[in-house]
Amino acid sequence: MLKALKKMFAADRGEAIVVVSGLPRSGTSMMMRMLEAGGVAILSDGEREADVDNPKGYYELERIKNLEKETDKSYLQEGRGKAVKAISFLIKDLPDDNDYKVIFMRRDLDEVLASQQKMIDRLDQGDTEAEKEAMREAFRNDIVRTRLLCKGRDNTDLIEVHYKATVEDPAATASTVNRFLGGHLDEAKMREAVEASLYRNRAS
Amino acid sequence: MFGGNTKKVKIDADLFDRVRKVADVAGYATTEEFIVHVLEKEMLHFEDAGSDDDIRERLKGLGYIS
Repeated sequence: MLKALKKMFAADRGEAIVVVSGLPRSGTSMMMRMLEAGGVAILSDGEREADVDNPKGYYELERIKNLEKETDKSYLQEGRGKAVKAISFLIKDLPDDNDYKVIFMRRDLDEVLASQQKMIDRLDQGDTEAEKEAMREAFRNDIVRTRLLCKGRDNTDLIEVHYKATVEDPAATASTVNRFLGGHLDEAKMREAVEASLYRNRAS
Repeated sequence: MFGGNTKKVKIDADLFDRVRKVADVAGYATTEEFIVHVLEKEMLHFEDAGSDDDIRERLKGLGYIS
């Protein structure tokens, strides 16, 4: 309620930026595909090309990777009314002069780590068991931190979407996300954009 | 030891006994002092993302941040 009132009196900041967030390998690219199919414009430069880890592409904006260090973040205003991908670690660095609708992708942490491990192995940077456990703890903290941060910011609304549930019932997720974003998206196309075949990194 | 307002928290009796023993061995003046110290340390993980170098290095390695 207080959040809504504060928003009413805030300066006109245009449409909210849709931020698709989550841990790396939590389904953020899948959600970007859904949004694109549903009719949301995407803020991406296509610089990071599709590869074996993300065969349909990453939907990334290269510059946002430097969000933590960069002081001039005004370029993000181009994202108003569009969707941009930003991993959860970078949510803290989003500037205050925009409104944000955050779609926070959740996925079983073991599956996230298993999927990351495949990338790491390809990069020849294998983790020790101790490192894996440290990362599990660090990512768990990152999830909590992001949720706390979003709840505490007047310019940010957050919805959590579960990867597995989306793969199993894309229509339900399409409907939920569409409602969250105002109800103007093509849910049928969003549903079609989910390819269950990509659900391959499930930890056994 | 608490200068300002305080709140009571209920915790399991067995857990409290374990905490008390560790607090004694570790040399804390009181069990409460130990509990506050541990909680403040843990809260930093959630409140201060800048301190998380493990994540930063991992994300750099995977190409998700610069």
